[in-house]
Amino acid sequence: MTAGPSRGRRYVLLLLLLCGFSIILFRLVTLQVLQAAELTAKADRQHQKTVSFEGARGMVSDRHGKVLAMNVEVPSVFGVPTSLESPSTVARHLSPVLQIRSNELEKKLRQDKSFVWLARKIEPEQGRRLEQLSLDGIGVVMEGRRFYPKGPLLAHVLGFSGMDGQGLEGLERRYDSHLHGEKRVTVLQRDALGRTVFPKGLAEQAPTPGHALTLTVDEVIQYIAEKELEEAVTHARAKSGTIIVMEPSSGAILAMAVSPRFDPNVVAALTPDRWRNRALTDTYEPGSTMKAMVAAAALEEKVMTPDSVVFGENGQMVIANTTIHDHDRLGWMTFSEAIQKSSNIVAAKTGMALGEQKLYHYLQAFGFGQRTEIDLPGEVSGLLKTPKDWGRRSLASISMGQEIGVTPLQMVSAVATLANGGVMMKPYVVSEVRDQKGRLLKEVRSQVKRRIVSPDTARTMTTILEGVVTNGTGTKAAIPGFRVAGKTGTAQKIDPRTGTYSSTQFVGSFVGYVPAESPRLAMIVIVDEPQGEAWGGVVAAPVFRRVGEQVLNYLGVSRDDTVKIALAMKDH
Amino acid sequence: MKTVTIMAGVLLIFVFVWERVDVVRLGYQIERLKTQKILLERERDQLQVKFSALTAPERIAKVATEKLGLVPPQQGQVLMVHLPGETPSLSPSPMEQVRLAKQESTGRERE
Repeated sequence: MTAGPSRGRRYVLLLLLLCGFSIILFRLVTLQVLQAAELTAKADRQHQKTVSFEGARGMVSDRHGKVLAMNVEVPSVFGVPTSLESPSTVARHLSPVLQIRSNELEKKLRQDKSFVWLARKIEPEQGRRLEQLSLDGIGVVMEGRRFYPKGPLLAHVLGFSGMDGQGLEGLERRYDSHLHGEKRVTVLQRDALGRTVFPKGLAEQAPTPGHALTLTVDEVIQYIAEKELEEAVTHARAKSGTIIVMEPSSGAILAMAVSPRFDPNVVAALTPDRWRNRALTDTYEPGSTMKAMVAAAALEEKVMTPDSVVFGENGQMVIANTTIHDHDRLGWMTFSEAIQKSSNIVAAKTGMALGEQKLYHYLQAFGFGQRTEIDLPGEVSGLLKTPKDWGRRSLASISMGQEIGVTPLQMVSAVATLANGGVMMKPYVVSEVRDQKGRLLKEVRSQVKRRIVSPDTARTMTTILEGVVTNGTGTKAAIPGFRVAGKTGTAQKIDPRTGTYSSTQFVGSFVGYVPAESPRLAMIVIVDEPQGEAWGGVVAAPVFRRVGEQVLNYLGVSRDDTVKIALAMKDH
Repeated sequence: MKTVTIMAGVLLIFVFVWERVDVVRLGYQIERLKTQKILLERERDQLQVKFSALTAPERIAKVATEKLGLVPPQQGQVLMVHLPGETPSLSPSPMEQVRLAKQESTGRERE
């Protein structure tokens, strides 16, 4: 009789156990099979943290390793609006630190988003103050910010990069593929306290920084050029100005100054007009500086010799029903004297003696009407029409530097060719590209483009151009103790309203090289729309002298008198 | 023999656990050092920017002229003395060296 109830209890117990195990099994299947994917993802979210790293943008330095642009990690502030209880209170706390109006911040914090940027790339001190506030729903992450520690120095060449580290202008844009750092997404494991544990592939975490650029530019020469250009533009109340200093033997750019300047650290409020590199994006009618190239072509083709006697037509000559004037009533003179006095009439006669095809050939050879292929963005090719498009007066006009559009870079490259014995070099600004470990990836060597005139012609031209500075229109470019060769230019600008040459707007320029006997510097100075006296010999030549004198001193180039002193000391 | 086997087994378990714990500990240590390295690199970069800004030619010229009352040297105040073997800062012109060496005043053939 006792077996009945005892067996019954056993069945009940077995049933309970079966039910219990069934529940556990059901739960197990639910967790491990049915909800597996969802729960794994949830666990990963809690224990893993996905972080996006971007390598620092590469550094840019001058030829002596002086830093011109580099990245520094600075704080960026973000908010998580969905986790905020009182956006207005948080905005009031943040406003004085971020120096952003409270209502602007509140507007951002009231958005229905889980993430909003409040301020990016702020000062480190602001970041420290934010950390002290320790506000819920507000976070700080570090991002690379581009700094240009020298401010406006070389800004038109360096350009600048955007908020997300992409190169937007200048070298930053041209060499963006080298400069930008590697982007990498890494998964980090976190423990219960949120600390990172055992990062997978520790060595792989840090993304590779961008490559570093070394420029041919010397920051001291650049500073001298910018300082003197600013003074000249201000003094002449000019619209703008440009100076390019080049090493004639290599084509290396030592300085490229454009006025007005801008600070690449603060570009938000500026227009493209301000950061355009006029040295290679703007063309101008060069005027008389073109006569140096026309004269070189005439000497090379033996159409003229330095001693050829030419007639200046007493200051005026009719060509194609228009009258060409000279600034003086010039009569008979040698070809050298005509160039030194910058005679338009003799230049026109020289061009006509050369003929359309030969003149066009030499102008093309000197690089006009085509890009110099310098490693900077935005370069234009200028304007050089083919002879079939020339008018009846074109041959004379082009020989005087009219009806042709050139960039300052083209003009200095052409004159540097005469300084370099007739061989044209390709201009360049980046000399080396190195990786983050300093290994050389790319070395740019000076590159010969072509020979344009013979060494004899170049030497003769140097003598003629020295005469421009000693006896001609460029006497204000003379540097005591050095032999200077160069040419002045004063060109009328075309009035966009009338389409004719303006009587009030000019471009004054001087292009030359020094020391003439063994040139170390080729330089162009352009002053655009100076007020008052606009002659190149008045507004640009003195700037050439001041820059040249300081740069030669800085480079330690001996003056003529120094050599004499040294030799005299040796004799004793 | 049995006791020795058990003890060896327990010891192996202890070594295994100790090794796992130590790996975690070293992981934390590496993480701390890594953070420290990042902070030091950040500080180095900030100092480099500061150094570059302070050594900008514009600033040095301003301090030299306005605070120290210095002026640029005039003609005759600078005498360049090139020691034998000394290389000027830009690539030297071979012809200049040849001219000085031969005490000639002409000839600038660059070919």
